[in-house]
Amino acid sequence: MIFLAIRYLLERRRQTVLTLLGVFFGTTAFVSVSGFFLGFQGYMVQQLVNNSAQVHIEARQDYLGPHDLDSSFFASDVGHVFWTPQPAGVKGYLGVQSPEAWYRRLDADPRVSAYSPILTAAALFNLGSVSVAANLIGCNPAQQAKVTSVANYMITGRFTDISTGGNRLILGDELMKRIGAGMQQTVLVSVGRNEAVPFKIVGRFSTGSRGVDLQAYGALADVQKVNFTPNRVNEIAVRLQDYRDADLLARSWSRLGPERVESWGDLSQNIKSVFSIQTTLRYFMITTVFIVAGFGIYNILNMTVSQKRQDIAILRAMGYDTFDIVMLFFAQGLIVGVFGTLFGLVCGYLFCRYLQTISFMQASPSNPEGHLHIALDPFIYLQASFLAVFSTAVASILPARAAGKLTPIDIIRQGG
Amino acid sequence: MGIVAKKVGKSFGSPASRVLSDISLEIADGEFVSLTGRSGAGKSTLLYILSTLDDPTEGIVEISGLNITKMNSEDLHHFRNQKMGFVFQFNYLIAELTAIQNVMMPTLKFQEQTKRRPHAEELMEKFGLKEKMDRYPRQLSGGEQQRVAIARALVMEPHYLFADEPTGSLDAANAQTVMSILTDCSVKQGMTVVMVTHDSGFAKMAQREIEIVDGKMIVDVEGKK
Repeated sequence: MIFLAIRYLLERRRQTVLTLLGVFFGTTAFVSVSGFFLGFQGYMVQQLVNNSAQVHIEARQDYLGPHDLDSSFFASDVGHVFWTPQPAGVKGYLGVQSPEAWYRRLDADPRVSAYSPILTAAALFNLGSVSVAANLIGCNPAQQAKVTSVANYMITGRFTDISTGGNRLILGDELMKRIGAGMQQTVLVSVGRNEAVPFKIVGRFSTGSRGVDLQAYGALADVQKVNFTPNRVNEIAVRLQDYRDADLLARSWSRLGPERVESWGDLSQNIKSVFSIQTTLRYFMITTVFIVAGFGIYNILNMTVSQKRQDIAILRAMGYDTFDIVMLFFAQGLIVGVFGTLFGLVCGYLFCRYLQTISFMQASPSNPEGHLHIALDPFIYLQASFLAVFSTAVASILPARAAGKLTPIDIIRQGG
Repeated sequence: MGIVAKKVGKSFGSPASRVLSDISLEIADGEFVSLTGRSGAGKSTLLYILSTLDDPTEGIVEISGLNITKMNSEDLHHFRNQKMGFVFQFNYLIAELTAIQNVMMPTLKFQEQTKRRPHAEELMEKFGLKEKMDRYPRQLSGGEQQRVAIARALVMEPHYLFADEPTGSLDAANAQTVMSILTDCSVKQGMTVVMVTHDSGFAKMAQREIEIVDGKMIVDVEGKK
C-alpha cells in the first residue's frame, strides 16, 4: 500500500507540495519561534542565575506585626493590647546564626556546586567632595567567582585582586562613574556611623545592569572590619549543580534554621510570569499553525478519498481489506507529515543559525557581539517533530477511516 | 463444488424494497454462465452476491463448498484475492499506475509479485499488450484498458471470474475480443465464469443463460455449448 500511496502523492504533485508546505511552515515556525523565545528566556535566566546566586541563605529580618510585642510587655492573660502608635520596624538577626553549620551542610550536599559567605553593608563611598551610597559586598573572591559570573565582567584588573586583603576594592562601572574615581585611586568607605576607612580601587566590572554595577566588592575580612562586625556574614550565596533544583532546595533548607532561604526564582517572580506568558503564547501560536496545516491535510485527503472511490472499489474486490485501505490514505498523510517535518526542522535550524548572526541587542561583556540568543535545544526539535507528525496523523486518520468504511458494492452502485 | 445459491433474497432500504427473491441455483466448476435481464431486474445484484461483494438478506451462498455468508472478514479477503477475479463495465484501472503495475496489483496483497510476474507478462502478451505494458491507462484505448482489466482479474489464476457488463463500454470489435477471452477462460482453462450482460448475442456465447425478471430466476437454459 505504501507503493500506491507514494504513486498517488507523486501524481498529485501540486496538492502534495501544498500540503507539505503547511507542515513545513508549521515546523519551521515552531523551531524558530521556540528557539527565539527559549533563547531569550535562557539568556534572561543565565543573567539572573549567573550574576547572582541561585539560592540565597540570608539573615532573617521581618517587619514587626501589630501584636508582635504584646508578650514582651504584657502578661499572657491580657485579652487585647491597643498600641498607639503601633509597633514598627524589623525584628530578627543581623547575621546568619550558625554559618559553620551551614558550611558543613552545604559541603556535604552533592547538589551544591559552590557557596560563598557574604557580608553586605550599605556604605558611603567618598572621593573628595563626592559621596555616593552603595552596597559594599564582602566575599572570598575565589568562592564568589564560583557562585556568580561577576569575575567574567571585569573590565580592568582581576576579581581575585581583592583576595590578598589590605583594603582593596573592585567597583562597578556605574559606581566608578558616579564618584568619578579612577584605577588605583583611594576612596574613603564608611558604614553607618563608623569612621571612614581608605580603600584602594584595584578593579572595575560592568555587567550592563545598572543596579549590579552600582556595587563594590571587597575581601570579606576587610568588609567585616569596616563594618565592625568580625566573623559576621549576613548571606550565604549558593550555586547548584542544576539551577532547576533551586526552588525545591530553598523550601527544604528554610526549615533547617532561622534564616530566610530563597531561590533565584522566588526573587524573580515577575520574570517567571513573563516566561509563562511567552510559553503560553508560543504554544497557542504553534498549535494554531498546526491546526491550519492539519485542516489542509484533512481537506486534501478527503478530496482524494472521494476522487479515488473507484480505486477503493477495485482494491476491495481484489481482496484488500479495511486496514489496507486505511493505510493507503493514512500513509499519504504520514509521508507528507514526515517529509514536511524533516524539511521544516532543517529550515528552522538554518533560520535559527541565521538569526544568531544578526546583532539585535546592545553589546555586553557576556555578549560582545550583541547577537540574539537563539536556543538550539534538541528538545525543541523533538517537540516540533512530535507535534507535526501527531497533527498530520490525526488529520489523516479521519479521511483514511472514512475510506476504509467504503464497501465496493456501495461505490459500484453509486457509479464510482 | 462450484457456486451454490440457496433461496437467496435481497432487499434494500426501509421500507424494504425487494430486489431478489428466492433464487436457488448451482453453477458447476468450469461453467460459463450469463445472467441476463432488463435494467433493474436484479442480475448485477445477484452477481455481487455470488461474488461475495454483497451479502444476501436471505438464504446462503456456498463457493467451493464454503458458506461465504459465514466466512470471517480475513478469510473472505484471502478467498477473494486467491480464488476470484472481477471485470466491471468500467475498467477501474488505477490512473497512477502503468498497465503492468495495474495487472500486478492483486499480487501485492500477499507479496506474490515475484511468483506472479511471469504470468502477468504472459497475459499482457496474450492480450496484445506486450509493447504497452509501461503505458498509463490514459495512454491506452478503451479496448486495451478493458484487456488490462481482464489481465488484472486473471493474474492470480482465479477459479472464478465474475464479469459485470464487461463489454458495456466497448465497440463491437473490442467487445468481441473480450468475449473471446472470457470464453477462452472457461473452455481452455476450466475457469468458472459468471457474466452479466444486456447483449443477447453475447449471452448466447455462454454455456448457460439465466434470465432474471423482477428479481426472480425465470429461465435457465443449459448445455448450449
